[in-house]
Amino acid sequence: MPTLETTTSVDSALDPSGGPFEGSELPDFSTATYKDAYSRINAIVIEGEQEAHDNYMSLGTLLPDQAEELARLARMELKHMKGFTACANNLGVTADMPFAQEFFSPLRNNFQAALQDGKVVTCLLIQALLIEAFAISAYHIYIPVADPFARKITEGVVKDEYTHLNYGQEWLRAHLEESRAELEQANRDNLPHVRRMLDRVAADAAVLHMEKEDLIEDFLIAYQDALTDIGFTPREIARMAAAALVG
Amino acid sequence: MFGLIGHSTSFESARNLARRLGFEEYAEGDLDMWCSAPPQVVERISVTSPTGKRIEGAYIDSVFVPEMLSRFKTAKRKVLNAMELAQKNGIDITALGGFTSIIFEDFKLLREQQVRATTLDWQRFTTGNTHTAWVICRQVEDNAPRLGIDLHRAKVAVVGASGDIGSAVCRWLSQRTGVQELLLVARRPQPLVDLQEELGGGRILSMEDAMAEADVVVWVASLAQASSIDPSRLPRPCLMIDGGYPKNLDTRAAGDGIHVLKGGIVEFGSDIGWQMMGAAEMANPQRQMFACFAEAMLLEFEGLHTNFSWGRNNITLEKMDLIGAASLRHGFQALGLESPAPVPSLSST
Repeated sequence: MPTLETTTSVDSALDPSGGPFEGSELPDFSTATYKDAYSRINAIVIEGEQEAHDNYMSLGTLLPDQAEELARLARMELKHMKGFTACANNLGVTADMPFAQEFFSPLRNNFQAALQDGKVVTCLLIQALLIEAFAISAYHIYIPVADPFARKITEGVVKDEYTHLNYGQEWLRAHLEESRAELEQANRDNLPHVRRMLDRVAADAAVLHMEKEDLIEDFLIAYQDALTDIGFTPREIARMAAAALVG
Repeated sequence: MFGLIGHSTSFESARNLARRLGFEEYAEGDLDMWCSAPPQVVERISVTSPTGKRIEGAYIDSVFVPEMLSRFKTAKRKVLNAMELAQKNGIDITALGGFTSIIFEDFKLLREQQVRATTLDWQRFTTGNTHTAWVICRQVEDNAPRLGIDLHRAKVAVVGASGDIGSAVCRWLSQRTGVQELLLVARRPQPLVDLQEELGGGRILSMEDAMAEADVVVWVASLAQASSIDPSRLPRPCLMIDGGYPKNLDTRAAGDGIHVLKGGIVEFGSDIGWQMMGAAEMANPQRQMFACFAEAMLLEFEGLHTNFSWGRNNITLEKMDLIGAASLRHGFQALGLESPAPVPSLSST
């Protein structure tokens, strides 16, 4: 294919010498604006890790033979939570926990309802797929624009989160046929919540130089990868993922 | 396994394609939704060469559309995510089609090798430019005589001469074809001077001046300059090879004595049984495709799992020979003029 070097301009934005395209510039971590946005984003992360801990412990009651492994995952989440708490302290920020608890309430309520009904598949979709994919994508996008202290901690966390995503994938892959209908329903019920959560956090994330478009696409890539691994076809996955795009 | 990374030619055609393939939610979505949508493996393909060898491949739609070009970060992300998807699917050699390789080069994505947990392995990708350049040269050599143009007495303008494909075409036409004179046109002067020195010939001209003299025009630049073509100034007959992307010269320039041929397109000897080239608006979508895509197939047929075409100005005549021979061996043919009007003499001599 030809290069754009030879053109006058297909579009001025294609000229790498100009235009605001360097997305990886670091924000100023010391401003009040940054700290204000960080107080909510950091709280979401801390709350997310706490909920993940609680959810894995709860899943252990539904899957007693897996309780030990689930407790191990849960302990990792608590370790992450401590790391992210240290990140806030490092910047002199107090996490806005009431905001974060309310932020997670739709998914928490759905998880708790599924737990009461003994719906393992729905619980796994919410925690091990949606929340983990949400976390992985957000951490990946955060790492290049994080302060050095937080960057190091987040890089360590991301590696762990993949193992959690894998846990959910493996269980669901092994039980796909009997889980299929429940998975599709749980996807319909919960993916729009993820979309709304991303919408709500977009303005604060932008202050941290994390863009909503990136967050959504990266979330969907992680989620689609998990669904592929579980055994859904590309067409089924595209249809399921659309709930996050148009929800 | 080979891979093709492609995209629709416009947002509207992308939505139509989504509807046709049964992705109704995407068909209804707006551009913002498409900007956030991840790449998809939309089709698995099998191709059998006349040699009997059968290869398997996948078509990945990057979900990029040209309307996203003004959003640098979106365009960049689409390309990198599609490449990551190809690699994650274990594809050995993937061609970067349409705007994909242009964005990769112009946005300097070589600096972005890490995509989340994946380190992109450049050996698994090819721009396909070597095959495209070879096919364009073949199209010049096969079709000019059909219009009564004797290449040894013809002036051939290459618009976009200093680009990766353009410079390769210039090298081939001056050393292998022996055209009378190359007219070198490009936006930036210095690379043209360097090319002229390397070729040991060729005349650097503005596009306007080149058009007034060219018996053959090889167009390998992108869209913008096409608007300044004034067909009335072109000599008759004139063969124009539209190797740019997107291909839209025919609507601007074709007419009395001017023959526009879609450049860098090949036709396979039998139906492939895929849906995706319909989206690329090929005349015979079951057989025709971009030469860059065919390069990935050829490299797979030949077991050459390497970034055969990569970077700029690395296309040698030897590489063009190699890929050209493979192209013929595996049943590809450069697209030719359908029914050329016989023109007895060369108008500019």
